[in-house]
Amino acid sequence: MGASPEPGAFEALHLLPLGPLPPPRVARLAERLSRHLRLPCHLATDVRGVPLARLPERDQIDADAVLAALEREAAGKGLVVGVTPLDMAIPIFTFVFGRARQGGKAALVSLARLDPGFYGLPPDPEILMQRAVTEILHELGHVASLRHCSEAACLMRFAGSVERVDARGAAFCAACAARLPAWLAAGPPAV
Amino acid sequence: MKILIVDDEPIVRESLKGWFEQDGHAVDVAESAREGLRLCGQGRYDIALVDVKMPGMDGLEMQSRLAATDPDLTIILMTAYASVESAVQAMKAGAYDYIIKPFDPDDLSLLIRRAGEHRSLRAENLRLKKSLEVVSAPPPLLGSSPVMKRVLDLVGTVATNDATVLITGESGTGKELVARAIHAGSARRYSPLVVVNCGALSEGILESELFGHEAGAFTGARARHKGKFEAAEGGTVFLDEIGEVSPHVQVELLRVLEEKVVTRLGSNTPVSVDFRVIAATHRNLEECVRSGAFREDLFWRLNVLTIEIPPLRERPEDIPLLAEHFLSRFTSAMSRRPMTFAPGALEALRRYPWPGNVRELQNAIERAVVLSDGPVVELGVLPVHVAGAPDHASPGSLAEAEKAHVRAVLETNGWNITRAARVLDVDRVTLYNKIRRYELKRPANGG
Repeated sequence: MGASPEPGAFEALHLLPLGPLPPPRVARLAERLSRHLRLPCHLATDVRGVPLARLPERDQIDADAVLAALEREAAGKGLVVGVTPLDMAIPIFTFVFGRARQGGKAALVSLARLDPGFYGLPPDPEILMQRAVTEILHELGHVASLRHCSEAACLMRFAGSVERVDARGAAFCAACAARLPAWLAAGPPAV
Repeated sequence: MKILIVDDEPIVRESLKGWFEQDGHAVDVAESAREGLRLCGQGRYDIALVDVKMPGMDGLEMQSRLAATDPDLTIILMTAYASVESAVQAMKAGAYDYIIKPFDPDDLSLLIRRAGEHRSLRAENLRLKKSLEVVSAPPPLLGSSPVMKRVLDLVGTVATNDATVLITGESGTGKELVARAIHAGSARRYSPLVVVNCGALSEGILESELFGHEAGAFTGARARHKGKFEAAEGGTVFLDEIGEVSPHVQVELLRVLEEKVVTRLGSNTPVSVDFRVIAATHRNLEECVRSGAFREDLFWRLNVLTIEIPPLRERPEDIPLLAEHFLSRFTSAMSRRPMTFAPGALEALRRYPWPGNVRELQNAIERAVVLSDGPVVELGVLPVHVAGAPDHASPGSLAEAEKAHVRAVLETNGWNITRAARVLDVDRVTLYNKIRRYELKRPANGG
């Protein structure tokens, strides 16, 4: 575990598309994210060479391996959030929505299972965008050293299904909010 | 919660450790069953997640060893190689659950939460059972006389049996105490003991109390009401004063005892109920059967095991023991210093015939503790009829003896006519006549 970043330790958030993501969608996501952070959000332009390692015998990328590569490649570049349209998992779980190390400097979020289309529902870009923003904020909460929260309405509540992602709140509870660094403690609820 | 993860794969150990730590749990990891057992020996865990397939000792063997040494530990087995046989084996050996890798994150989260709740409920259940044992423990049945020792032996024997018990004995001999002792010693002790005083309720109310009623079954039945048999589900129903039950209710009772189903008043749907019946009476039920006041078939249904409690006058050697017991109980309840009996007081207690039996003795001792200033119960604080009781062999007319006895019973029962009449085994009118004939007067202060 790394140490918690000091408030204001990050100067910007760099959003890095990993895999086939339309650039306008990433740009829109950066814009939406910036409403909830006291940080400018940019498309990462100078982070290269993050391999999309796959889990053996599973059609999913290895979230922990990709997160480790992301942290390695983005070292010294501030806060980096990888976003992928690919399904993602770790060896012990059938899937994960996102991964981040507590006190780390990078986060990784998969849009695959946040997309209504994954469940055979009509595509809904707005729902996908809302879910992506809340999931990224949840992972940034871990970057800010927060653990999972038992408050039903808190963004830091663990969600193991897309229904639970939707059901949990769009904002941090008072206890979690009190522990947020300045760069994350800004903006209205995520939806 | 404190969680132990036992898996030979580092990725599983570290991933789960990180996952659970994010949820605020304290986590230790072990790479083998042997290491896991060592950690369990050193500290207490709430939950252990154990991989089934590991080199050396496998998860199933570890589970059985843990179950033997730490039965409170909740064990969840994990495997990537699911088979019905290993799942069955795990569950039979007492695993809380069995999960297959990789896990659905929601399932794992839910499983851990449920395991925690299950653990809390089990701990609460144990706490409640322990407190129930304290609360439900009946006052001790006391007696050193041979006749009472036989009763105590019989209570121990019938407690372990599930048959119906009939307790007979004069009023005040402690029939309910015996019923409570039987229930407390039985396998039904964690379920309710429901007491019904059949003699205190009118026929209609008794029927409704015993069998329950549906809303609207009769005037005033606004809501559904479960009867005493249903309330005693899994436990014991104590039917006190069974000899007072009307012929109509006797028929209904017989049906319930034979079929173990009750039908609430106003309903046609029988409800199966699991209960044991203990009945008691101060009457001679066989005589009641002969006179036609009590159904013979119900008598035989109740009279499976019979315990006859002897009156106190037939076991005077128990009086000092009981008197000391009550003295200790009342001094403690009234926050008084320990007290003793003056020799004269103890002799008077032993000499008095105690027509109200143990209940009368208990009341006399309570009164004596209240009236005593010092640490010794003197003869003077005992009820007059007890302190001045003539020797049993003293001469006197029958009327004098009856007058003294009626007065004694009235005083013992605080001049409650109903209770005194029951002790004397006469009806209230007869008792009023005797009070008039002997010009007995209720004391102004009730003392």
